[in-house]
Amino acid sequence: MTALPEIAPAPPDPLFHAQGLRKRFGGVHAVRDLSLAVPRTAIFAIIGPNGAGKSTLLNLMSGLYAPDAGRMTFDGRDLSGVPAHRRARLGLARTFQKIRLFRRLSVLANVVAAFHIHHAIPAWQYVFHGRAFARDHARAREEAMKLLVFVGLEHRASALAASLPYGEQRMLELARALATAPRLLLVDEPAAGLNGAEVERLIERIRLLRERGMTVIVVEHNMDLVMEIADRVLVMDYGQYLFEGTPSEVQANPAVIAAYLGA
Amino acid sequence: MYSSSGRRAGYLIAAAAIALLPLIFPDSYWRTNLTVCALNVMLAIGLDFILGYAGQLNLGHSAFYGIGAYASTLLITRLGVPFWIAFVCGIALAGAAGMALAMFAVRLRGHYLAIASLAFAVIVHQVLLNWISLTQGPLGIYGIRPPPPIALPGLPAISFVNTGNMFYLVAGFALLSYLLLDQILRSPIGEALTAIREDEVSAASFGINCTGWKVFAFGIGSAVAGAAGAFYASLVGTLVPDAFIITESFTILAMVIVGGMGTLLGPVCGAILLTVLPELLRGFGDLRLVLYGAALTLVVLFMPGGMAQAARLLRPRFAGLRAKVLHDRAA
Repeated sequence: MTALPEIAPAPPDPLFHAQGLRKRFGGVHAVRDLSLAVPRTAIFAIIGPNGAGKSTLLNLMSGLYAPDAGRMTFDGRDLSGVPAHRRARLGLARTFQKIRLFRRLSVLANVVAAFHIHHAIPAWQYVFHGRAFARDHARAREEAMKLLVFVGLEHRASALAASLPYGEQRMLELARALATAPRLLLVDEPAAGLNGAEVERLIERIRLLRERGMTVIVVEHNMDLVMEIADRVLVMDYGQYLFEGTPSEVQANPAVIAAYLGA
Repeated sequence: MYSSSGRRAGYLIAAAAIALLPLIFPDSYWRTNLTVCALNVMLAIGLDFILGYAGQLNLGHSAFYGIGAYASTLLITRLGVPFWIAFVCGIALAGAAGMALAMFAVRLRGHYLAIASLAFAVIVHQVLLNWISLTQGPLGIYGIRPPPPIALPGLPAISFVNTGNMFYLVAGFALLSYLLLDQILRSPIGEALTAIREDEVSAASFGINCTGWKVFAFGIGSAVAGAAGAFYASLVGTLVPDAFIITESFTILAMVIVGGMGTLLGPVCGAILLTVLPELLRGFGDLRLVLYGAALTLVVLFMPGGMAQAARLLRPRFAGLRAKVLHDRAA
């Protein structure tokens, strides 16, 4: 295919921009020639049938995979060759579809560990713990506790992460990602396995994050959730761009309906 | 987690125990055994830093031990470098070797890292054995002198020919190493290392540079082993490559596992137990190695968290027992 895929017009000065992304696993084109532009302070949803390449796209964005072709910029900065841990420092955080908590650590310790890039201690105080160390130590735990309150897990702070029920594990993943204080948050299927009340809480929290100026990219299967919170929706199919627009435009688009209903 | 006052009390008790031990054991046989205990403590906590905290399966710890011993000794005997400078060089070289191994092996995980580090230990042992012009190979290096006496103004010089003083020196360094590792592990560095052990992918997503911190962990852990090596040479007085054969790595590993990986105090207890136990079992003659092996197997089978796990399990029981006694007494 030589023709360029049809693309929605890019918003001016996007926070995240990708052009011609391609990723192949053996013979499978997980992502091909995908371009997208994520506007600032918005909730941007990525949807598509199973195997559409949504998670692969997220892994490319967070730096877990290197793309075979294409380039990405974050806040105008080229991300080529920037490893995952450097992207976190730039302000890009994520949660995982398959939950990846530090299972043998406490809930609070999980969040504290995610503060890594925000410690402000002179190097020698890593060995000789002084006043700056004590201040930083207390601040990290205070901030972590605030995040646990934000996701509703404050009563679980000292429990082992592995002992939490599934829904709470998802919320802990969210709290950890927020501990890096990201400007762009990628959440991979946050509602999977949550009950109705938990989904409500999640929706409300994600909205609150946008109000605070964060940009959130949500990969999600739960269509109700997407339609309720997303400002823009990108629809993928077979690793490719299918459509991009507002939730109501997506719902009305015949190509999207065909992809979902297999008509 | 212990309170800082509890920890301070712990350090004071350890210092007091170190001060008293040579007075309780006046004979040089037991004093030397105690000094070997202190060496093994250094080896065990260094390995635990890499294995129990950063989660890197390192089977090459004997190599760092050997590099520290040979580097410091050769600097003294060949180049006439003063002991303490050679000591620091031995530590630096062992640490550098650890970092180099980590840099090469950083893409390897679990079993693959274990094999790569094991191979490294084999290579180091073979080099020590076969580079005869430098190390005198299997003939070994003899007549290595203990550290030079330390002269303090107004006091008689402290001679390390005295086995009690030698114990104070090595045990003091073991305590210092423990303090250093403990401080590092209770800082955000400890949080980063544990995060890497638990899940590298999500650690990286929080901005933790997994490669960098693994190299750091190997550097610190092997530097502590290098210090133990430098002391070993001056304690024993002779150096042969077979002291650093790969089975030594497994002995250190056993100390860490029996004591309890991922705690610092556990491997200290493991090192002491596995050094003293074979000596205490000497009365059983050839049977002692069988008993030793059986004890090791039982621990791994029934207490995979080691002595640290046993302590955690027993603590509430003791607390319950004490409460019961107090209650009975009141009744």
